[in-house]
Amino acid sequence: MTAQTTIPATSGAFIGELQLPLTVQVKNLNHFFGEGELRKQALFNNNLEVRRGEIVIMTGPSGSGKTTLLTLVGTLRTTQDGSLKVLGNELQGCNRDLIVNVRRELGFIFQAHNLFESLTAYQNVNMSAELAELNPMIANGRIKSLLTRLGLGERIHYKPNSLSGGQKQRVAIARGLVHKPKIILADEPTAALDEKSGREVVTLFQELARDEGCTIIMVTHDNRILDVADRIVNIVDGHIKSNVLVQEASVICDFLKQIPLFDNQTPNTLAQIADQMMVHRAKPGDTIIRQGDPGDLFYLIRSGTVEVRIHDGRQEKTVATLTEGQYFGEAALITNEPRNATVIAKEESVFYALDKQNFHTVLKESASFEEELRQALFNRQ
Amino acid sequence: MPRSSKTPLAWKNLTHDWRRLAAAIAGIGFAVLLMFTQVGFQNALFDSQVKIIDDLQGDIFLVSKAKYTLAAEKRFSISRIHQARSCSGVSGAYPLYSELTTSVLRKMEQGKGNRGYPLRSLGFQLGDPIFKSKDIQQNLDLLRQPSTALIDKKSKSKKFGISLKKSANLAQNTLELANKRLTLVGTFNLGTDFAHDGNLVMSSENFARYFPLRKRFGDPLSVVDVGIIHVQKGFSPKDVQQVLKKTLDDDVLVLTRDTFRADEIKFWDKSTPIGTIFLAGTLIGFVVGMVICYQVIYSDIAEHMPEFATLKAMGYKTSYFFRLIVVEALLLSVIGFVPAVIASRLIYEWLAGQTGLLMQMTPTGIAYIFAMTVGMCVVSGLLAVRKLLAADPASLF
Repeated sequence: MTAQTTIPATSGAFIGELQLPLTVQVKNLNHFFGEGELRKQALFNNNLEVRRGEIVIMTGPSGSGKTTLLTLVGTLRTTQDGSLKVLGNELQGCNRDLIVNVRRELGFIFQAHNLFESLTAYQNVNMSAELAELNPMIANGRIKSLLTRLGLGERIHYKPNSLSGGQKQRVAIARGLVHKPKIILADEPTAALDEKSGREVVTLFQELARDEGCTIIMVTHDNRILDVADRIVNIVDGHIKSNVLVQEASVICDFLKQIPLFDNQTPNTLAQIADQMMVHRAKPGDTIIRQGDPGDLFYLIRSGTVEVRIHDGRQEKTVATLTEGQYFGEAALITNEPRNATVIAKEESVFYALDKQNFHTVLKESASFEEELRQALFNRQ
Repeated sequence: MPRSSKTPLAWKNLTHDWRRLAAAIAGIGFAVLLMFTQVGFQNALFDSQVKIIDDLQGDIFLVSKAKYTLAAEKRFSISRIHQARSCSGVSGAYPLYSELTTSVLRKMEQGKGNRGYPLRSLGFQLGDPIFKSKDIQQNLDLLRQPSTALIDKKSKSKKFGISLKKSANLAQNTLELANKRLTLVGTFNLGTDFAHDGNLVMSSENFARYFPLRKRFGDPLSVVDVGIIHVQKGFSPKDVQQVLKKTLDDDVLVLTRDTFRADEIKFWDKSTPIGTIFLAGTLIGFVVGMVICYQVIYSDIAEHMPEFATLKAMGYKTSYFFRLIVVEALLLSVIGFVPAVIASRLIYEWLAGQTGLLMQMTPTGIAYIFAMTVGMCVVSGLLAVRKLLAADPASLF
């Protein structure tokens, strides 16, 4: 049998490739507000892993707890229950000095700009550079190039009073980035910006993620910048409802599309099906399914190779070798017949498995093609 | 990286809003001014009180054991002066006579007397080296004439109705001292104090004529107010003091210049409520300044809570905020202090002119008030910093 996990396939935890180190690791995290009878749980058993260079967008209705999670990751709130590791430091029960040290590796961009009115744009940004003890010459160059990049080249020595709302926000962004933080935590960074400067900011984010390996976690409702997300985390009522590595989800959908069974499904339904798939792992020689057993799982091979063998009464014959992107066990989704072949892993393999029951639930709940088209047209802006 | 190249946030925040800065300077300056006038009055009182000691020559002084302050009219026998003269190490011993309660000066106009006011009359034997004042030494000849005296230029001229600005006109005033005719023949410089509104100086012969009832029976000059002793060269005043103490009966106190001065100040400081009153006044100034300074720093913090919380989120430590506020408090104390010193200086001059008191701004006095100002600002800064430490970066998201 395979080792079944509770990890959703779309989370990208087992893509079978060499992965970058984790920068944020949230395990069984609970958080409460208030005391005694007024105590109210804000986060329920949250699990999240974010790797170096990932851009994570957190969405969810207001009051769902996404900001709470962001402040916990940012060490701005004390971890109460569960484990939270940021840049390898366990924040649960850690001391003040560690918190200060972690904070200096982070870059905060708040919804409000919070600039000192008495300082110029340059000086406000420099407050952050000084803390990082950058060489003043290097800091000077970096502050000027950042501000210029963000369209404030002419206004480097202006005070916030003579800047517009969007310009102030861009100064605050420069302040959050100047010390080359390892993680950027941003709350609606583009809300006060027009399309063009908003795009410039997210392009900057992408460059930092790609070139500096900076991890970016942002809360946003701005769907103009959804395209930069590597991972989209949806939080509802304190629960992480979905945590999707966009790249992986699209890989799965591409696989599924090629399968005749899923021919007629809309992309939306495919994405929902992908969400239902769970990660299974197998070592070389493991039997994944056995001929004659009852079965209700459909397997998609994410990595590795398997052999399909059929026993025709006298002897067992290898009829096929399947590899990455291929699938088996699809009959189990539609019929109740026992397995018609045995599948054995030839090497260390990872599969995404879909449960028959979940598959049917999705099909039932998913809108018809036409209905979805109507929705799309209705939402068109 | 040197500290100086850091962004001067404390200075920038303080000077950003010039209206608030002006209010802060005015408030703190007012408190400083209050402290300066209190301390100034106190010192003026004390210094004025001992001005006569400073103006006397002599190394050792004799006073009656019962004389708790210069203004107390307690006297001792002139025989103590004669005894002192015979002690080894003494080069001279001279009596100084003083009268206050019966020494009433009255201006006569058209044959009628105005109301008279008491002032201090000082009498001495004209040859005795008692006064340092050159004005007195140069006018000895005039003082030899009967019914003559020099008047202190700083006497309260309005009260006595005499113009002291031009000494030439002095003799034209028709005056009575203790109901006897008096002719003013010149001026000298001594100064008033809390007990004396003016001073006259005259020969002992004239003094005896004006105040014949100093001693109920006998020679009015046989009782002395202060004995002034000159020590021979080569003798230490301390040693001579010991000799005098042994030789003289213990109805007189033998005091060196320093102890004489210190005892007089101590009397006014401790035995009267004056020291306490001025200390209270100074403390009120201190508290007023503290409240103003607290208000300035607190409102600066309160208005920048999100900014300070952002600094906290960035990883600025508690110690940074403490430093920031202490620097802000120090800056406030300096920029509030400088204009207040200048204003105080002007007020000192004005008060000195009005009251005749010795309002002096000494380096020690300035240092004392500056230390108070710094203390006042730093203490209130440390009280206000608690607000800053409560800034919660979690509230920013």
